[in-house]
Amino acid sequence: MTNNSKNFSVTVRVWRQAGPKEPGKMVSYKVKDVSPDTSFLEMLDILNDNLLKAGEHPVTFESDCREGICGSCGLVINGDVHGPDEHSTVCQLHMRRFKNGDVITVEPWRVKTFPILKDLAVDRSALDRVMKAGGFVSIPVGSAQDANAIPVEKDKAEEAMDAAACIGCGACVIACPNGAAMLFTGAKISQLALLPQGGPERARRALGMVEAMDREGFGNCSNEYECEAVCPKEVKVANIARMNREFLLANLASKR
Amino acid sequence: MDITFIKRFAFTSIGRKAVMAASGLLLGAFMLIHLAENLLLFKGEAFYNGWVDFLLTNPVTPFLEAALALIFVAHIIAGTWVRVEDFINSPGGYEARKWQGGRTIGSATMLYTAIAILAYLVYHMLTFRLVDHSMGFFQMVTSAFRRPVFVAVYVAGSAALALHLSHGMQSAFQTLGLNHPKYTPLIKVLGLLTAVAMVGFALISLYYLAGIDLKAAETGIEMVVIQ
Repeated sequence: MTNNSKNFSVTVRVWRQAGPKEPGKMVSYKVKDVSPDTSFLEMLDILNDNLLKAGEHPVTFESDCREGICGSCGLVINGDVHGPDEHSTVCQLHMRRFKNGDVITVEPWRVKTFPILKDLAVDRSALDRVMKAGGFVSIPVGSAQDANAIPVEKDKAEEAMDAAACIGCGACVIACPNGAAMLFTGAKISQLALLPQGGPERARRALGMVEAMDREGFGNCSNEYECEAVCPKEVKVANIARMNREFLLANLASKR
Repeated sequence: MDITFIKRFAFTSIGRKAVMAASGLLLGAFMLIHLAENLLLFKGEAFYNGWVDFLLTNPVTPFLEAALALIFVAHIIAGTWVRVEDFINSPGGYEARKWQGGRTIGSATMLYTAIAILAYLVYHMLTFRLVDHSMGFFQMVTSAFRRPVFVAVYVAGSAALALHLSHGMQSAFQTLGLNHPKYTPLIKVLGLLTAVAMVGFALISLYYLAGIDLKAAETGIEMVVIQ
């Protein structure tokens, strides 16, 4: 990296934990010569380079696309889920949000349902198991039909698309005072409940996914909407109401 | 008979929340009716005692009372269960943690206001329900309202009730699956108005504590009551 007068130094306080059962602690590292144009995760990459050169273990953290669409990254930065930017993933956060000499506290997502694997990486497979309980359409679809063979109301198509924007990062669970996964599950139930293709398995899906969510030990929604405030994809809590409706109707109006 | 659908109201998160929400809405409606009944105090001793007498001699009343008690118990059990689970599941152990503004004073204190309301209810039962009524209900109520300690409990209890309902009323609709840009803003306003109405209980007790009715009688001004 070239020397640039705009570059600055920060102190990063990171949670270090060697393994799932190991005790962890916060460790401070100085990261020098950081360009304001560096992304937050790139800053962690620089830190890890330094650690490797010094013969230490790099900090484990998850990331994949680094363009805010895969849902792999997720950290609590200075107490903010996904960092200080509103409706954004950590990978979209840039160092220009910080200034020289800042002490940045970086913590993993701490909730029983997402056990820590190592350092900042957590196991979010509980969300996958909720999906497995019905978050799909199991009808063989064959080849594509004519575009207008199944009419879909414009508003519903939009709403379904908005629900489908959920990237499954789990920020809603972390933002929730109760560790509930209802925004996630609500979005996943809604994206199919709103479309005709989701119709035939509606009751099974609502009952199955909610029961799976409970089995995993996620909490109960207290309608405080902290989840909606942090969701990088701005998924709306109306999806939670739709899930409640789907579940209660499935319970009372289906044979299941 | 397959009773899975009944079990789901007890043993699933959304089922329990639905029980809490539905019972909560019924209790909220009861509180509004109860406030309207309290306002009957202003119609004078004879009218008020006549109304109470009608309630007590009505053969339907015991059934309504039993239903109300059941709704209360359902609300308390479902609410406690939900809250205990949330306490166990709640994330924690952060060095730094910020809320994003979704939480309100009302929503963050639901458990504490619930405990306060329960204490208020017990006090209310001990002082109004399980006492000697021979002096007549109007006398019993108004003389109680002239005791500062009693009114202090009433004011605190009503404040807790208002805070509880400020989150509870609108929240119940969301839990029951009713959220739509068409009507959710209206639900929020009505929920807040119901919460504010709870202050009415405190105001009625303060009215008698301040002796406004007595002063009115002294000066010869009669309370004007809309007949």
